[in-house]
Amino acid sequence: MSLDTYYSLETLVSAGKMKSAATEVISFDLFDTLLVRRIHDPDLVKLPVARYIEQLAANKGLRVNWHTVQRLRDTIERRQRAATGEKFADHEACYPLFMEELLKELFAERYNAELLASVTSYELAMENSMLVPRTVLIDWIKELSLAGKRIFVISDMYLPAKSLKELVQFAGFLEYVEDVISSADTFLAKASGKAYPMIAEKYGISTNSWLHVGDNLFSDGLRAEEAGLQALLIHDPKEDQRKSLVKRFCNYSDGKPFWRGRALQQLMAPLESENSPQSALYSEGYNFLGPLIGVFVQQIAKRCAKNKITKIFFLSREGWTFKKYWEGAMPYLYPDGNLPEIEYLYVSRMALAGAACAHQGLTKTNADIAFLPPGNRDFRDVCRIFSLDANTFSEQLSEHDIDADTCLSPIHDGYLPENRMKFEAMLEYDSFQQEVKAQTNDMNRAMQLYLEEAGMFDHENVAIVDIGWLGTIQRFLFEAIAHRDDCPHCFGYLFGATRGIPYPNSEKNHVEGIIYDRAFFDLAGSTLLYAQDIFEEACRAPYPTLNGYRLVEGGYELEFRTTEDTIGKAECEQDRCFEPLQRGILDSAPRFGAASALLGYSFGDYKAWMNYLLVSKLAFPRAKEVKSIRNQHHLDDFHGQKKPKADFKKNMIALWDHSQLQLRFNPFLRARKFFGHLRNRINE
Amino acid sequence: MKTVLNKRFELTGNEFFRLLGVSLFGKFVPIGNLWGGPGLRCLAVLTLLHYVGFPGYWIKAKYGHRLQFIKGIINKTRR
Repeated sequence: MSLDTYYSLETLVSAGKMKSAATEVISFDLFDTLLVRRIHDPDLVKLPVARYIEQLAANKGLRVNWHTVQRLRDTIERRQRAATGEKFADHEACYPLFMEELLKELFAERYNAELLASVTSYELAMENSMLVPRTVLIDWIKELSLAGKRIFVISDMYLPAKSLKELVQFAGFLEYVEDVISSADTFLAKASGKAYPMIAEKYGISTNSWLHVGDNLFSDGLRAEEAGLQALLIHDPKEDQRKSLVKRFCNYSDGKPFWRGRALQQLMAPLESENSPQSALYSEGYNFLGPLIGVFVQQIAKRCAKNKITKIFFLSREGWTFKKYWEGAMPYLYPDGNLPEIEYLYVSRMALAGAACAHQGLTKTNADIAFLPPGNRDFRDVCRIFSLDANTFSEQLSEHDIDADTCLSPIHDGYLPENRMKFEAMLEYDSFQQEVKAQTNDMNRAMQLYLEEAGMFDHENVAIVDIGWLGTIQRFLFEAIAHRDDCPHCFGYLFGATRGIPYPNSEKNHVEGIIYDRAFFDLAGSTLLYAQDIFEEACRAPYPTLNGYRLVEGGYELEFRTTEDTIGKAECEQDRCFEPLQRGILDSAPRFGAASALLGYSFGDYKAWMNYLLVSKLAFPRAKEVKSIRNQHHLDDFHGQKKPKADFKKNMIALWDHSQLQLRFNPFLRARKFFGHLRNRINE
Repeated sequence: MKTVLNKRFELTGNEFFRLLGVSLFGKFVPIGNLWGGPGLRCLAVLTLLHYVGFPGYWIKAKYGHRLQFIKGIINKTRR
């Protein structure tokens, strides 16, 4: 008996088109034919389901390990298959039956039908996330349907037809199919060939006019031809290669943790029609920034569980992307929904700086923070940042023998250390601080009204999530609300903590860098310092920054920065430029969640690969990558407009600021910069 | 315009040759904690699969049933 086997979908479809012209019915195998799996082993989908059952059991006060759940599932399924084998030629299993038995055995009197429904729903969601429709075949099905052919989908699978229909619906071709048939419903499978006559009888099909397409030599080939059908087989070596790679990435991950992140990315990768040509920025978002943000939010979820955090505040504007990523990934990682509430909080350094002074006044540390950006030079810059009116302090300034334009920053011309000491002495004066408090009080009250509405004070422990770097926003935020009795414990989680100024960690307020924390020696993580602005621009929400909070009659109002001036327009242009990058990041979120849930790895497992990603992309970027990812505009209202000394930052050009010419043709540039970076980290 | 996953099933912008280069650099200069790194054997096998995997699997798909004797020879050699 000769079987028509094809080695590419194109040749299969062109042969199929010729054969289908003379047939009335065309049936397709579902798995590995119409739908391909991202994973090499379909049984891997069962593992996250076992972990979910472990979570559900824990929620009901039962202690059961997911390995035990999986073992029990296998045992029950095996038992059911053996029992079926006694009555039928095939050893088939039916998911609702064995899953119900498993759950009843695990949960005993705590079992209910809702439990089975939620487990089934998660299993289908995980199956769906790992299945990709094959575009060429789906297009052919549409053509056949339009030509009036009867189309069936037949599968040997433990999921009943009802569940398979959901998968087909999700894949987008249920409307073209007359029916979906599963061996789980009748225990008559293609493997024994018993399914074919049963289907022919049930649907009134003549086997002479029936063409079947599948991938299995026996079930879809030999058995179909034995039943009198014509059969076409697909054996795609491209699929063999892909699955072989996935298998190796997964297997190597067991012994070599380095590959865990790579396995994750291979499972996340788009296939078939999902993998359409995109701009270089989209790929960077999907393959580089997306996974980094994914492991960041996954670790936050873990920290929240450990610290009993009940609400997460994602701080504007980078928190916009983090929150969206969280929403995309978490349903797969925490299907029981046992997660903190989430909220996006409109804040900014500029908006909070003033509010932070309402109760404690202007502290020396906060004044030092104001002088960190090289564009800030004098008391006028301090007033701009802390929303103060410089003219109202003329008396205090003259008392200390300085004025609003006296240079107070050592990196500017005209700096005298005694002037800075006089300024710091002024900070000690009560009359100065009273004026500061009076001027910032309204802003603080408006901010508190906003935070009350956002539910900040309704929780004992809250997480504050931001991109980084010094934790200034959280510092100002906490200082602005620290006087309240209902001030929550603030757990700050930063993408990268550079800690330029030591953070005042206390029992109620502390920050931690997740991807990089300068408090710990992490050479690979520290490569974030190469291009911090890129992370800010990539994650930034596409709307202007917040300027402040204003008290209005009956409440408060948020004041946003204008987009009409040059800086505002430049920022809008940057948003448009980075749109594909952000799309790439956000498209990767659900696939990250599904892949990570399937692998069952956590932040620590992925760190080695993420370290490699950071080093290779940030410390050793390609010239064209720098050209495409490098942001053109970066707004920082905190940064003043004054020019520092001419020799400031001379010979301190960062790698990402070098010209394309140098990046392309200077062979030792990256290595030289890396050695410099290494030296700086060791000397810290 | 490129696809996120290229025809060799590599991640665009993070191809295997880049990994080989950084791994090699990391053999001489500390680049951070890579938890033991990729390992030479894993790198070799995966690089081969990415770059010359398709012809191998095409031959296997088409003539695999006639090439069973090679499997026998490999198994004997391993023993």
